[in-house]
Amino acid sequence: MKLYAQHGYGDGQKIRQGIRQGFIDGVIFSPKDISVTRLRETLVDLRSGYADAERLFDPQFYATVVANEPNSRCGSLITDYSDYFVPRRRSELETEERVRSDLGRTLAFARNLDITSVISPNILVPRSLNSIEAAIAKNFIRNAKPVANNLGETRLLFATLAIGCEALRQHRDLIEFLTDLTLLEVPPDGFYVLAGVSANDGRLDTFDADTVAGIMLLNYVLKLNGFRVINGYSDLMTPFLGACGSDAGATGWWGNLRAFGLNRFAPESSGGRLPIPRYLSCALLNRITFAELEQLRGVVPEVWNQLVTDELYPAVNGSEPERSVEVLQSWNSLNELCRRLIVPGDVLQSVNRCQRSIERALQVYSSVEDAIFGQLDPKSDSSHLEPLLTGLVRFLELAEIGASEE
Amino acid sequence: MPIPPPPAIEHIMAAFPELNALVHIATGGFKYVYRAGVSGHTEAFKLLALPAAGATECERAARQEYIGRARREISLLAHFTSRELVKLGTVIPREVLIGGISFLGYSEEFLDGESIQSYVHRGGPRPREEDAKRLFGCLLRAIKELWENETVHRDIKPLNVMMTQDTARPFVLLDLGIAYQMREPGLTVNPEVRPATLRYIAPEMLQANFRQSLDYRADIYTAGITTFEFASFRHPLDLHGVDPVGTLTQVLRRPSTPLKLLRPDYSDDFCRLIDQTLKKAPPLRPANIEMMLRRLNSTI
Repeated sequence: MKLYAQHGYGDGQKIRQGIRQGFIDGVIFSPKDISVTRLRETLVDLRSGYADAERLFDPQFYATVVANEPNSRCGSLITDYSDYFVPRRRSELETEERVRSDLGRTLAFARNLDITSVISPNILVPRSLNSIEAAIAKNFIRNAKPVANNLGETRLLFATLAIGCEALRQHRDLIEFLTDLTLLEVPPDGFYVLAGVSANDGRLDTFDADTVAGIMLLNYVLKLNGFRVINGYSDLMTPFLGACGSDAGATGWWGNLRAFGLNRFAPESSGGRLPIPRYLSCALLNRITFAELEQLRGVVPEVWNQLVTDELYPAVNGSEPERSVEVLQSWNSLNELCRRLIVPGDVLQSVNRCQRSIERALQVYSSVEDAIFGQLDPKSDSSHLEPLLTGLVRFLELAEIGASEE
Repeated sequence: MPIPPPPAIEHIMAAFPELNALVHIATGGFKYVYRAGVSGHTEAFKLLALPAAGATECERAARQEYIGRARREISLLAHFTSRELVKLGTVIPREVLIGGISFLGYSEEFLDGESIQSYVHRGGPRPREEDAKRLFGCLLRAIKELWENETVHRDIKPLNVMMTQDTARPFVLLDLGIAYQMREPGLTVNPEVRPATLRYIAPEMLQANFRQSLDYRADIYTAGITTFEFASFRHPLDLHGVDPVGTLTQVLRRPSTPLKLLRPDYSDDFCRLIDQTLKKAPPLRPANIEMMLRRLNSTI
């Protein structure tokens, strides 16, 4: 299971450090957050410095539908990527001709980028896989490889498949959608899967039992049918998606690089503030604030990962890390979780390991709650674990991996 | 409607003078099958009893459905080139009246061998893994050609697969009598009817709107069952003694027996592949035939 940096604003040296230390296998660039000139320079630089690292470019075409809104936050997409990125209304994309034209422009742009594989554009299917958006998304996927072939593209092609959590929860529609998707005449080589969260509470959306079951089923079916699967913004879900066959996950340094949503591109509703640095505990399958880590230091030693990046949270500093290295700890920990939980080629055994890790996390949380003063920060608590556990069981049911196979 | 008694050999030969040395070898559905000499070589001659035209619209529709299926089968057989699919013979299809009953006669190549059903029933030697892989590979190649022509066989089962002594064609798929063509209007008069053999029906065929979503994964499922039965001499749903309603329930709900339980000597990889073809939901079955063939070829 590979892990990529989900690029965003303020990358500094994070990606290079992550690659150099072996925590990540590559990067998925965000054009919103980087000028074309800088992107090209960085790609060349990465190729020469880290030849084995994969360099991907997410065209972020899905933001096209919010780009028309006043004060939309599309950043460099509007100013630097107009070769392919223009604001579109949904109705404009209902014709296959327009879809093919937008595919052609985006893939032609990617032709001139020094990337290792290509991600084709698509829109987000927010609420239902039985919808106009789903039909448009299927058109983008169906036409991606033929258009790429016409352009002479020989690198691996990943079709973007961006589905809202609400749609992922409707399993009957999801199965019908997958029935079509796995029967394309000229399929892409793989999929770049994005689970879209709502603006309100990404954690609640992601760690919902039916969302978990849906996204795992999606990954499982795509792998079963020979596709390569990269999950963007997968963050803590990465090892669980790896358990059902996914090839790669990705996460970044800001909250909006750890969960995918169009709210990142939409007008901002209120001012933001810098987030509190956190520590990703493998035992808790979650991040806790550095202050919580400080309280638990020595009291609940299980929260520590015993990894090299633990040193980045020094006691002399009240367990507060430098903000720029927090993501290194995340990548290091996610890699470790993947190593512990994924048995390559054996979904059932991997899911069993995931289940045991959740049960163990519930026990550690129990110790944490006894040890900590007051309450855990809402994002640090254990509320994600029960839905995750239920989601795994539902996934096994949906995938018909059950008692008869044990 | 019961099948009428078979016409006398001399009456058949009078209606089809190009035949000689006619020997009855099988009866199935509304069909009699003979081994026959034609122009110095042997072919399988098929004689289909056509339902009488009847007085009611329903009876006439039933007759049209039957004739339509026969014509479709003949036209498909003439079209396919895969060596895993049976070929049309030289007797030109034609409708004849024998003893006041309408028959449609035509021929297919004669395959010297036995069906997998016969092999399993007589309890032949337990097949080696490579034989089971070869069978599955042959069925996949047949399914591939059918699907390239937007056709779903719908009746892959041990009875419809011949084992031959020809190493170039170890297994040949027969009988496209209920094949489904995506681009042609449905032939079934009563939409509630599912033309299929219950023990070998894909679960999605039992859905009300199956025509909206039917694809070759229904054949992958039945190819999986056929291979499973060949390998283990058992049906994966263990339907022995189960009545038709019970059979349909099991088809929809009961997980199949893992092949590894019955053939622990087979590789995990092959057993998993066959088990995966037997999943109830079509997208859970592997659909990439090329990938499966590569997986099989790498180990045969």
